Amino acid sequence: MSGERIRTEGEVEYRFVHPDDFREHVRDRKGRAPVRKLLSAADAVSAFVKDGDYLVYDFSSLTRGPQAMVREVIRQRRKDLWIGAEFTLHESSLLVGAGCASRIDVGFLGYGSYIGKAVSAGRVRVYEWTNGGLALRILAGARGVPFLPCRDLLGSDNMKFSAARTLPDPYTGDPVCVVPALNPDVAFIHVHQADETGNARIFGTSLFAFEAALASFRVVVSAEEIVDADEFRKEPMRTTIPFFLVDAVVHAPFGAYPGAMPARYEIDLEHVDRLNAIGTEEQMRGYLEENVHSVADHDEFLDRRVGAKRMRELRRRATIVEGYR
Amino acid sequence: MPETVEFTDTEFMVAQAARLIEDGKTVFVGWGIPQVAAMLAQKLYAPDVIQLYEFGAVGPQPVLPFVRGTMGGPQNTYRSLQWLDMNRAFAFSAAGYMDYGMLGALQVDPYGNINSTFLGGTYSRPERRFAGSGGGNQVASHCWRTIIVMKHEGRRFVPKLDFLTSPGYLDGPGAREKAGLPRGTGPYRVVTSKALFGFDPSSLRMTLLSVLRGVSVREALDGMAFRPQVAEEVGEITPPSPDELRVLREEIDPGRIILRGERMTATG
Repeated sequence: MSGERIRTEGEVEYRFVHPDDFREHVRDRKGRAPVRKLLSAADAVSAFVKDGDYLVYDFSSLTRGPQAMVREVIRQRRKDLWIGAEFTLHESSLLVGAGCASRIDVGFLGYGSYIGKAVSAGRVRVYEWTNGGLALRILAGARGVPFLPCRDLLGSDNMKFSAARTLPDPYTGDPVCVVPALNPDVAFIHVHQADETGNARIFGTSLFAFEAALASFRVVVSAEEIVDADEFRKEPMRTTIPFFLVDAVVHAPFGAYPGAMPARYEIDLEHVDRLNAIGTEEQMRGYLEENVHSVADHDEFLDRRVGAKRMRELRRRATIVEGYR
Repeated sequence: MPETVEFTDTEFMVAQAARLIEDGKTVFVGWGIPQVAAMLAQKLYAPDVIQLYEFGAVGPQPVLPFVRGTMGGPQNTYRSLQWLDMNRAFAFSAAGYMDYGMLGALQVDPYGNINSTFLGGTYSRPERRFAGSGGGNQVASHCWRTIIVMKHEGRRFVPKLDFLTSPGYLDGPGAREKAGLPRGTGPYRVVTSKALFGFDPSSLRMTLLSVLRGVSVREALDGMAFRPQVAEEVGEITPPSPDELRVLREEIDPGRIILRGERMTATG
């Protein structure tokens, strides 16, 4: 099988950490005290994101993505990142275009022509896990097991171009697919509300926010709103992530812009059109210069590139609040 | 006198796909055209269909009009019964609760295998790279019946895919089971902008079932890079009805984000 051949040549790399190594990190390096972890995006990236890191995020550039954090990573010119790209849309284009990312584990790759061309030109390596495959890898990482079995990927070429494997099921003897646990270096999770210690609430659906927080070495939560810690104890059912999984909290109103934050503001479709239209290196450089490098931080980006009037308009367009309380 | 109806190839695909969605059943909905087809079905034929989305919306009643970029956004998750995440969304199909899955495709082969990853070249240097599986692999692996919706272009029907992203019947009878996929699952229909295909129960090969009124069998098969089986009696598909076109154009996609396409005509 060609997949086996490729694997033995070592071309299908995959990120894997022994579960015991991850557990020891959690034992020794994750603080349990409810201390104040509020940082600027710049300080959070500088402290918690290193060159070569494996990065995951929830959800996408169109919905509740950690866009303020992604722009800060670009601003700080991180290199050689490996992205766990379940549902990645413009983020992967920008991170590749900015020279920050060199490898992508693919669920759903991109939007717009830029990323497709980058793959064809060999400027970024991609591995085919599928959305469900990546979600299961994160779940395995969150459970402290080396792999999890599934009945996806079987018979497909995704099996050959990921490091998923087919094994005989020890119970039935039938073939079963296994995917290796994924313990990312960093998870970015943008939330509706957080307190200063890192308790966090997401209102709405998610990809794997809770599992990614459990599975990742370092967790940076960016939040639309900082609320009092006591709020979480009043309504524990609404807590998505408890504070002791979280390393840093960044207050980032409009942090998902130009994507939507359910019940808070709508997608800026005009801005998204500009992202979709990026096809050349020159257009990419122009976009990044205007929206990332020429502004000092997220606040200045909102002030000078988005503006109060636009933000008011996007808030007004978010008419669906039902369910998001 | 029968009137001439004008519509786009996309409108026809969406209308056809919507007619296949059964009321009171579950459907795992993929990105783009399947979303719009599910909305049309829910509006006209299947008010109690349970839509499921991979980002965790269970049984939403998505807001009209369709807003592009809303995969996962509030319009798309509106009035859900439950909000979950991806591992739990895929549990519904893995456990056997999803009657239908609906997916788009770049290429399809005679056994209903789907490519949505790349065209031309090699995996590491593709001529044209696309989104890849997304959740398509999980949908095609686990839903009882998978419906593929695709523009009727001969070059998309290939004897061999450039990449097998989502499994159909693989290389024929017994292959899915042998690979370890759940028994009793697989592709059910291929909806195109000219015709409707099913799969022969014994050979599991794609079979032309019916064509749009006014399109001949020869025309439907013309240019297809493989020759499908042809049903003994090829049926006739009625063009989009005034109701279907009205709901699509006025309520679901007035901005013609999804519905634009090649102009077609048929007698109504």
